[in-house]
Amino acid sequence: MSVSAALRSEAGGRRRPGFGILFARHRGLITAAIVFVLLFIVVNAISAGHLSYFDFSFMASGGATLALAAVGETIVILTGGFDLSAGAVISLVNVVLASSMDPTAPHASVVLWTLAGIGVGMATGAFNGVFIAFLRLQPIVVTLSTMFILQGVTLLVMEKPGGFVNADLGGFYLGDAVPGRLPMPVLLLVCVGLLWLYLKSTRFGAALYAIGSDDDAARSAGVRVALTRLLAYIVAGGCYGLAGVFISAQTGSGDPLVGNPLLLSIFAAVVLGGTRLGGGRGGPVGSMIGAYILMSVVNVLLVLNVSAYYSTIAEGVILLLAVLAASISADSDLAKQIRFAALRFAAWRAGALPRQIGGGDRRLRREPPARGGARAAAPPFWIRNREALRYALPAYVLFVLVVIATELWLGNAAFHWGYWNSLIVLSSFLAILALGQGAVILTGGLDLSVPWTVGLSGILLAGIVQGSDQALLYALPIVIAIALVVGFVNGVGVVALGVSPIVMTLATNGILQGAALLYSNGTPAGFSSPWLRWFMTGKILDATPVVFFVMAFVIVAVTLLARTPFGRRIYAVGNGARAAKLSGVPVGRTLIGVYMLSSLCAGLVGVLLTGFSGQASLGMGDEYLLPSIAVVVVGGAIITGGRGHYLGMLGGVLLLTALQTMLAGSNLPYATRAILYGLVVLGAVVALREERD
Amino acid sequence: MMGARLLLAGGLALSLIAPMTAQAAQKHKIFLSMSYIGNDWQAEAANMVKAMASHKSLADKVSLEVQVAGPNAQRQIQQLNAMVQAGAEAIVVYPISPTALNQVVKNACDKGVKIFAYDAEITEPCAYNIHIDQEEAGRKTAEWLVDKLGSKGGNIVVITGVPGTSVDTLRTKAAKEVFAKHPNIKIVAEAVGMWSQAVARTELSKILATQSWDHIDGLWMQVGCYTANAMQLEAGKKPNQLIPCAGEGSNGGRIQMLPLGTEVEGAASPYAPLGASRISYASPPYSGALALKLAVEALEGKDVAKTTILPLPLVTNDTIKLCQEGTWEEMKAGCNAFKPSIVPNPGWFASIFSEQTPEVGLEAALVGQPEK
Repeated sequence: MSVSAALRSEAGGRRRPGFGILFARHRGLITAAIVFVLLFIVVNAISAGHLSYFDFSFMASGGATLALAAVGETIVILTGGFDLSAGAVISLVNVVLASSMDPTAPHASVVLWTLAGIGVGMATGAFNGVFIAFLRLQPIVVTLSTMFILQGVTLLVMEKPGGFVNADLGGFYLGDAVPGRLPMPVLLLVCVGLLWLYLKSTRFGAALYAIGSDDDAARSAGVRVALTRLLAYIVAGGCYGLAGVFISAQTGSGDPLVGNPLLLSIFAAVVLGGTRLGGGRGGPVGSMIGAYILMSVVNVLLVLNVSAYYSTIAEGVILLLAVLAASISADSDLAKQIRFAALRFAAWRAGALPRQIGGGDRRLRREPPARGGARAAAPPFWIRNREALRYALPAYVLFVLVVIATELWLGNAAFHWGYWNSLIVLSSFLAILALGQGAVILTGGLDLSVPWTVGLSGILLAGIVQGSDQALLYALPIVIAIALVVGFVNGVGVVALGVSPIVMTLATNGILQGAALLYSNGTPAGFSSPWLRWFMTGKILDATPVVFFVMAFVIVAVTLLARTPFGRRIYAVGNGARAAKLSGVPVGRTLIGVYMLSSLCAGLVGVLLTGFSGQASLGMGDEYLLPSIAVVVVGGAIITGGRGHYLGMLGGVLLLTALQTMLAGSNLPYATRAILYGLVVLGAVVALREERD
Repeated sequence: MMGARLLLAGGLALSLIAPMTAQAAQKHKIFLSMSYIGNDWQAEAANMVKAMASHKSLADKVSLEVQVAGPNAQRQIQQLNAMVQAGAEAIVVYPISPTALNQVVKNACDKGVKIFAYDAEITEPCAYNIHIDQEEAGRKTAEWLVDKLGSKGGNIVVITGVPGTSVDTLRTKAAKEVFAKHPNIKIVAEAVGMWSQAVARTELSKILATQSWDHIDGLWMQVGCYTANAMQLEAGKKPNQLIPCAGEGSNGGRIQMLPLGTEVEGAASPYAPLGASRISYASPPYSGALALKLAVEALEGKDVAKTTILPLPLVTNDTIKLCQEGTWEEMKAGCNAFKPSIVPNPGWFASIFSEQTPEVGLEAALVGQPEK
């Protein structure tokens, strides 16, 4: 089926060579451009007056920071990487500029300060790049550590908003390149775009796409993979630096938190622009357009006066629609699913499997295994599990070190049951999330809808329970069922619509946030029942009841991933979806199951957090998203899927919780804690580094 | 960049369908730009602004549109620009950053738009600011705690707000200056509480993993006293053994301050009268409503001061008093805590009374209904 489809599309391409191929190659970019133009027309039409040059200039500068940062992120993603430090770099450059400019000097050199900003960005990029390219560490966790470290450094440079950025910078970057015709931000973006087109035409540009498509093939073809990767992070860092310079010019001052919340928007812009996560396809020009699409959406929502509660829902839906629009074609997953559905239906009517239609039995003939032959002796435990042990061990070793450090520094730790009890209670949330997020990551996906699945579940539970134990009996199944529906929707989006997991779950997260706001009307009411509160804070024989639950959960989780057909299918899909499919693994069903598992875990955490706090609050899940990813990776899983063990992830959970416990008990300033936290996470993954094969 | 004529043509065609708001022309067009909507304080402040806008004294004068910027300053910049484009006469804003908005605020002022910032500050001089004195808040509460612990002093735990914000930095610094003057006060642990009861509980649990309540004599928390008291009860303490806590103005905390055994409708431990030793303060959520009222006054040509420092709402065990209905009149007579049967959420902020805003009472904060 797919072969004939491929042949057909190839034939189509041959008939109209130039345009067809060009369109196919740049479909993402072209769709993004069309969406943007449509949005622009809408904004123009529904605004009170027609947009003047002045408005146009405002809009151009409004999206420029995001666009510049998205260019950098795109270059990293093209190589198959991932950069979580982008927002933190922007904040750092902002405070560095704002704290080092002399407020008494009447003028400042635009060139000098721009270069300074880009330089700071490139330095952070080089830091990321060295660990990722030469030590072969996983980008997601290296850049996560860098993010924490940079946030700490930023607070050391400037502890609260203030400082001064010379107005010359603002005058230059926000002014006109050609008065009345061309705003400077547009010219700046055009220059960056041209620079990119030049880069793309060089060997470096070709190498970027090559290593993103397949780094082994690229290496065999003579591409210097490590060097290219390092350069990609440095160039990306330079882009974030430029974005930081721009936001400094725009705001005229420093704020240590200014860039941090940009991170998710940056990813959304990249994806909207048609760049594929995982590398090899797309480009920065699309990402710039993606950034302006996101910006226009804000204007549309404003002009239409969409209620604040619906705005995250509207954004989520727009994100999904834009990505779906970009993927409409004969060979998109959605189209395939529709074709296959027809085939499946025909097969179902004929009482056969789809592949049996029109053909006999195509199963391979298999000899029955010889009876009575000597069975090969099973290798000993540590050899069978050598790989799992090697990847899980570093987290545990560091965990033990942190516990020892806590004992020496704060006391009352290693030999006190109270410490261990608190540690397990505090770990319980991440331990549960690690199974869901871990299973999703094992299939090569990522679940970004965790925060508001947690939040909505907790708010719903508290709202239904209202402090009554009887109500808990039916509230719990309702909440769990809703969580499962969320997971099902995520899974169907990924499998049937072919939307990338990040986009699908990001959109779901926004929609869930809106749902939670609508349900609670802004202030969540209700509180947990006495029984649930006892479960999280009471005592049985000196131990909190949830401790026993965590132990049982760990056993179930290990069994589920290692000993059940579902668990084996997860690994099969993660190691190669196509190979798994050809081997008879129901890939779609497994993926949907994995997302449902993740939402189930998130829902459970929402319930437990409500019991722990006594009530639910909006945003209660926000602080669990990045840690849920970090523990999985620190525990030895690989972000592209197929490798990892739940016990390793549990080690990651214990390590991070013990580390936070130690830091919370100390008197260190927050900035130092953030840096230490980042360094320990980085240290944990250095131990996990890939060996060159 | 693109065919301008095509755009214009498309725009003209579509503008015929666009809704025409003729009657809005006589009203003042005012926008509210909020920050992150996902917490109790923000939702309450938004309710009070909406209530103020629909009060009979303002309903004919104001058309209010509400927008949420999320936690993202960059986006608020863009939103403010869009509001100016959409013809705002005044913008009431909860500024995500005191400095990042300066340029866009200045631009708006230059176009004649009046900018009113509530709760937090915008440093651009043309903006109107309505907030409490954060240093005073940090200092007064720390002094109360030092006073409570007496000449003996003791070990205290500090839970701060969101690091990197001016409000947190000012409060924490002022409090620490007070503690530094008393060498017998020892800060044994400090954690970041993010102004959330849930985070405060997680952080306190982490601290208690290596400390015990027996060795902590006092708490200074920007948000979290309600939770801290609940945790002490869970640890087996009796209500009369609760340690003094200087912290937030949540209704849960206020109810806990009432003398043990007070009859309160809907109370259930730990959201119940405990006689807890407390000082309760808050950035009051009515500041947005007041900002709107002042914005209308400014548009009508009245003189409005650029900076309005709100009186710090401090409540101690001596001044705590339960409200029956929660009307503005009743609060004026001195009540400052609300029944759990009316306010089921203990994290809800109770400092909603202001001499200057008789338009809004409890109903306003809860559901956005103004006083009659």
